[in-house]
Amino acid sequence: MASISLLNPKAEFARAAQALAINISAAKGLQDVMRTNLGPKGTVKMLVSGAGDIKITKDGNVLLHDMQIQHPTASMIARASTAQDDSTGDGTTTTVMLIGELLKQADIYLSEGLHPRIMAEGFEKARDKALEVLDKVKVPVDINKKNLMEIANTSLKTKVHPQLADLLTEVCVDAVLTISNDKKQPIDLHMVELMEMQHKTDTDTQLVRGLVMDHGARHPDMPKRLENAYILTANVSLEYEKAEVNSGFFYKTATEREAFVRAEREFIDQRVKKVIELKRAVCDGTDKTFVLINQKGIDPISLDALAKEGILALRRAKRRNMERLALACGGTAMNSFDDLQEENLGYAGSVYEHVLGENKYTFVEDCKNPLSVTILIKGPNKHTITQIKDAIRDGLRAINNTIGDKALVPGAGAFEVRAYNELVQYKETVKGKARLAVQAFADALLVIPKTLAVNSGYDAQDTIVKLTVEDRLSPELVGLDLSTGEPMKPTDLGVYDNYIVKKQILNSCSIIASNLLLVDEVMRAGMTSLKG
Amino acid sequence: MQHTREILTFQFGTYANYVGAHFWNQQEANFVYDNDSNVPEEQLPHNDVLYREGLNDQKQTTYTPRLLSVDLLGTLRHLPIVGELYGNFLQLANEQNADEVQKAKDSAEQNQLSTPGGLDVRMQPPVELSEYQQDLLKGAVNIESKDYNLAQNCSSWADYLYARYHPRTLNVLQGMQRQTDVQVLGTQVAGVELWQSSSFNEDFCDRIRLYAEECDGLQGFQLLFDIDDGFSGLATKCLEHLNDEYSRASYVLPLHYPRNISYAQADPRTAHSIRVVNSVLSYYHLTEQATMFTPLSTLETIWRNTTLQSRRMTGLHWQPDNLYQSSAVLAAYLDTVTLGYRLRQTPETLLRFCERVSPAGRKMTAAGLSLPLGMEQEQDLIDFLDGADNGSLLSQLTPGCEPGNSHVVQSVVARGIPYSRLKRPVDQAGPQLRMSAYKCESVSQMLQLYYQCAYHGSVTHAASTPLPLNTKLPFPYELFDTRIAADGFKLQSEAEREQDKRVGCAPALAAVQNSSKLGTHLDTLHGQTHRVQLAKLQSYTQSGFEQDEYDTALDKLLEFRDNYEDSQYL
Repeated sequence: MASISLLNPKAEFARAAQALAINISAAKGLQDVMRTNLGPKGTVKMLVSGAGDIKITKDGNVLLHDMQIQHPTASMIARASTAQDDSTGDGTTTTVMLIGELLKQADIYLSEGLHPRIMAEGFEKARDKALEVLDKVKVPVDINKKNLMEIANTSLKTKVHPQLADLLTEVCVDAVLTISNDKKQPIDLHMVELMEMQHKTDTDTQLVRGLVMDHGARHPDMPKRLENAYILTANVSLEYEKAEVNSGFFYKTATEREAFVRAEREFIDQRVKKVIELKRAVCDGTDKTFVLINQKGIDPISLDALAKEGILALRRAKRRNMERLALACGGTAMNSFDDLQEENLGYAGSVYEHVLGENKYTFVEDCKNPLSVTILIKGPNKHTITQIKDAIRDGLRAINNTIGDKALVPGAGAFEVRAYNELVQYKETVKGKARLAVQAFADALLVIPKTLAVNSGYDAQDTIVKLTVEDRLSPELVGLDLSTGEPMKPTDLGVYDNYIVKKQILNSCSIIASNLLLVDEVMRAGMTSLKG
Repeated sequence: MQHTREILTFQFGTYANYVGAHFWNQQEANFVYDNDSNVPEEQLPHNDVLYREGLNDQKQTTYTPRLLSVDLLGTLRHLPIVGELYGNFLQLANEQNADEVQKAKDSAEQNQLSTPGGLDVRMQPPVELSEYQQDLLKGAVNIESKDYNLAQNCSSWADYLYARYHPRTLNVLQGMQRQTDVQVLGTQVAGVELWQSSSFNEDFCDRIRLYAEECDGLQGFQLLFDIDDGFSGLATKCLEHLNDEYSRASYVLPLHYPRNISYAQADPRTAHSIRVVNSVLSYYHLTEQATMFTPLSTLETIWRNTTLQSRRMTGLHWQPDNLYQSSAVLAAYLDTVTLGYRLRQTPETLLRFCERVSPAGRKMTAAGLSLPLGMEQEQDLIDFLDGADNGSLLSQLTPGCEPGNSHVVQSVVARGIPYSRLKRPVDQAGPQLRMSAYKCESVSQMLQLYYQCAYHGSVTHAASTPLPLNTKLPFPYELFDTRIAADGFKLQSEAEREQDKRVGCAPALAAVQNSSKLGTHLDTLHGQTHRVQLAKLQSYTQSGFEQDEYDTALDKLLEFRDNYEDSQYL
């Protein structure tokens, strides 16, 4: 807890050197908290709140959100990290680590009298150079299963146990490949639905090539399982409700009122009848069955009528599922039943219901050419599910990034080591004191391989020396093998990072760090606090 | 075919949750398992309207409110966010919490969430349970004699919550810690922004959908929210969503804090302006979206009530700025008046309930409550009403308006008056026989007649149930003064209740009223807006709020006020 208390000084304002000290200590503090999480060997944190809520995570972003960050500097860094997560879905811990380290390295030179402005300029130069290096070392890849598996696996291994990561990798890659369907247009990850199921014993995560919905039929006589089903998706109200406010009907006698009610009811019955007619037209005499999935409500009377026909009807489907259904099963979502045709219907090989406690699930499976899929996460409790869900989300993002970049960067600290070596050389060409800043930037980059080493139980200095020497000798990139502590070639082992993630990290970290360095006054002002 | 006509309840904001907690406590206090009370079953409220039946993972049946609540971080205190009925949290209250943590750790490793030994536990210190909750956990709550002093000791509504919620119910705003001095979510626009953020919106709308999906005959929504802060933005946007998706009746109760709250970067003057702007914008949305709305507060007036003058009721004393006590008064009103559409014997729809008292676009209504009713022990209702002054029965709970006693449209609900106390049998009736009310056969009939005579040119709809308001703990029983007996009726002459006796239940009368005089409430609000300079309100200008939008809201407010113009019109 000591590191968090660093983030919480009571000072109301601070100037120049003191302001800098505050910024640097905050950055270091955050770095300390996050340090142990980096990499596949990093620890997982289980957060238990005062009320007993559990959260298990390793994701830097989740952790940052959960810590009540009051310190302005720390919350600025946290925001940079959140932005990182929003745009790429990975590298949040790295961002925090790197900002902290940049400030730490800068501090050494600043305390010797270097002006922050020069420092910031140097950082800018170093960043440009590092980006150059990044462009040089990136490996163009084909979009195939093997490559995607590698990147997803690297990302997932930093989030969960390796065995689970392997399973999730397969699921994620299959999901993305199924919905991408070799099309050139960008992939909409929303078309991968993540559905959770809390189950005491059954704990595995699987890909359903279709849709799983978190509700079921609300009529006891409706079929629980259907094969060979037509799917009608609709957004049409099938309930009688004098709903519209101020549309009250006026009547003189009770019988008149009854008549009005009946007329209204008739209106709904007509709609139900249309569905039933269509069902008879397409299903009678065949082995086909019929499912209605409605975004609006269906009242008991309508349900009853539909159940009598053997139609499985679901009400109040998620809005986004309407889109997904159309992609998974084909057909179109109907906004009225006036002109129902067979081609409006989708198709699914099997539709069945699964009851779990008070929750019902409906599986729509065996679709012909699903462009929308569901990843079904099962876990014994909520926090397990949440952690897996977060991991999957990051895995999907990593895959999507790769498809967007069409390139990868060798992982396991390889890029950082190479950039370090290149920057040290580049430093010689920089005139004046700015070269000190370039050196600081280079040193800061090494925090990544260092932390990876420390988290896996190896000596940091030892590792860095080995890696930098090896890197200078080899034209190929050299990273750290976490299981042996020896240098290795990440390309051989298939350890890759996303190009865009690295790029984003370099950009945002140097900007935030420079900004923080240039701050010469921190104040806490607000009318309430001034008045006491 | 008859099926339950479900209602879904919303609580936005801390004060709304205070009131809500009292409200749900009241519901559970009135649950009847084996009917040995003297209230016939058909006169009890129909609990399925507000409650849902469920099954938790231990295969136990649960019965929880159909409720969605939103509050700031830190208000839940000891309450796990998932509620206490469905697991998924650690029991920290008992001594073996180290075991529990270890167990959770082991299971996480088993499920391959981390490498063995790679799990790092970070525990925040467990939240201390309030004394009442501790006793509740042990099953040893002493409602008769132990003094928990909740008025002073409770720091949040969770401290006195007896009801248990469904995992779907509770939502907290991530990153918004409740602070004692300033309201973190200050402005209406901030609330609107929050509603639109995908992290909140998706999950919340999904929860609404899941509740709605369960309902066979969803009839509408009850919506409580804090109008003084940013929760008003959340609530109004939510209402818009409900109308778009479900188009059902909505009964909205904006709540005013019984104290002046302050905002970040605001001196008292700006704070006042922010309150006014929040109200203006909320009213503007409510006039468009709500079926009916009734502003509630225990204060006499709001907007520039610097001395915090509070409403008074005879026989009832509360500390004006105490959240626990004042919210109990509002909850008593809410519980009583909503009986109007929750009673078993008189099935009345929420829509009908709302439309009856909000004719001709007069969507804003006023609240009146009488607690305790003021009937003496041994007194009959007929005599009590005979002695009552015109219109002095009710105290207003809507700030800054008096509906008056002519040309009023109202709906009243009386509770806790048994049939035997209506009037004397013929042989003992004596002078009662001469009163025209003697022919009335029920409490509601007699009230109807009373209001017909007392209020000129008015329309009254009355309902009643013999079920009294339950005022045992965790209701602040200490509110009643010593002239009130343990059964909630007034003691005769100068007698006082024994020191150690507590008031266990009380009769009450609640009304929702409408008349042209309510226009003054809107006039005061509009009057306050002259002083507001929107450009100077940092918290508004920073979030890109446009002057035009504000002007539209003001214009609409004036238009709405016109509905209350004609004094003769009902």
